[in-house]
Amino acid sequence: MRAVGLIAINFVREQRWPILVLMIWVVLLAILGLVGSVRNDVGFMLFTFKQLGVYGVAFAIFFGASAIHNERKTRRILAVLSKGVSRSQYISGLLIGIMIAVAIFSISMGVTGTWVLAGPGKPAHIWDLIACLMLACVLSASVAVLFSTILNPLFATLATAITLGVPAVATLQFGSHWGRAIPAYSLLDQLLQFSFERRSTTPLGLMVLAFIEAILLWLAASWIFSRRDVAVSVD
Amino acid sequence: MPFALEFENISKEYRRFTGARIAALESFSLQVHKGEIFGFLGPNGAGKTTAIHLAMGFMRATSGKGRMLDKPFGHAPTRRRVGFLAENVALYARPAEQLVRFYGGLNGMSGSLLKKRAGEMLEWVGLSQEARRSVGRFSRGMVQRVGLAQALVNDPDLLILDEPTSALDPLARVHVRELLLRMRESGKTVFLSSHLLSEVELVCDRVAILKKGRLVALGKTSELLQSGDKSIIVARGVPATAFPDATLENGVVRFAVPTVSQRSALEQVWSLGGQVISVNPEHRSLEEIFLQLTRTSGERNGSA
Repeated sequence: MRAVGLIAINFVREQRWPILVLMIWVVLLAILGLVGSVRNDVGFMLFTFKQLGVYGVAFAIFFGASAIHNERKTRRILAVLSKGVSRSQYISGLLIGIMIAVAIFSISMGVTGTWVLAGPGKPAHIWDLIACLMLACVLSASVAVLFSTILNPLFATLATAITLGVPAVATLQFGSHWGRAIPAYSLLDQLLQFSFERRSTTPLGLMVLAFIEAILLWLAASWIFSRRDVAVSVD
Repeated sequence: MPFALEFENISKEYRRFTGARIAALESFSLQVHKGEIFGFLGPNGAGKTTAIHLAMGFMRATSGKGRMLDKPFGHAPTRRRVGFLAENVALYARPAEQLVRFYGGLNGMSGSLLKKRAGEMLEWVGLSQEARRSVGRFSRGMVQRVGLAQALVNDPDLLILDEPTSALDPLARVHVRELLLRMRESGKTVFLSSHLLSEVELVCDRVAILKKGRLVALGKTSELLQSGDKSIIVARGVPATAFPDATLENGVVRFAVPTVSQRSALEQVWSLGGQVISVNPEHRSLEEIFLQLTRTSGERNGSA
């Protein structure tokens, strides 16, 4: 477990600049909250808040799709895997690192959102929405990591977009039950559809399903990665 | 006797994007005994790094199998007893001491022992003054020294070094040589891949030479160096012109003859009224052997 923790913390450290870029949006939300005239525009504030959620998922995919490739390309992966670290521990470390990054962002977003949206009517279940967002991010990142074990970042991102996008389009076209296939979109949609006027319930079933799928995707990524050569050129 | 490292009939093929296959290793067998310093030589592209990466579990063999410290290649817990320095080592840009502790932590080390070992290793590689500086600002030689420190932090039973001194200055090379000898004294095994043949000649108990994925020479360094087919005869009281390519110095004639003609050459010295001072097998440098073996097409497969 110690090795997994070290790899996770190392991942966050290595990705500190993209995480910082992500955090700038949260700071921007906070700054908007300080401007009285803007803060009173409930629709705009809520739109900005929801927008952050989409950025969170996009960054989670970016982190997942590029993590292995970057380490292989720089050859830094060799020094890590030359230690008593199994491939599944390595993948776990990356995923936990992404979860930490996502948690930093989501919790900051939740805290800022609780404050800036307090004026028009504090959404009582904002932390339920944040939990949905975090699970959507983790599930999206798990899909991206799975594809990154066999594809370069560009193709891994495209494959992830298709894998997450097909259930999303099917949900919009044919009904919400399609969203349960890979519920990243359905969970994100909880945030996107939120309004002060409409009271929504916490989708516990979807959250559990997302968690189970993330574990299955982690197992699949570990299994594939343990059969891949990591020391050959990635270009 | 269990081996520290054992390759058993291993082949490795790379597949190109076009589907073409390139053989990096072909039916490669080799055993490295525990407690020896083993030199692994070969020209660029011979398959040395591929063999090392297979042993470290970075890649899987197309066929064949291997064992490292009595466990199959790729067994993660076994790697806790192994130190590895990659060719052109790449490390994270962070303070040297933090980095060595990070790699030690990945091997299950922690607390005061890890802190002590990290400090000792950085001191040993001559970087204790730079321990708080980021490795990202280090020169290539300094990065290689940090690489050595991280490979040694867990006090490994088996040390695998791929070109460990390529970026080091002569003083640091001597330092590494001393380390290797010290490791052998304490019963550890060193597997050293290097292009610096003089260095290998000085420290290695046995060497293997690889060419195009096949083993072309394997044996004790001392035996390989004496494996020439010529004898050096030193004589007195004979004219240097009597023997082809003979040199005359202080009245002593020195010349080389094929070992099969040694007896007739000695008889010629005596018939000319000369006196034989010494007859010794010709010692070749490892470089000469290396060049001869890697330039010729004759290949053999084997193990010892």
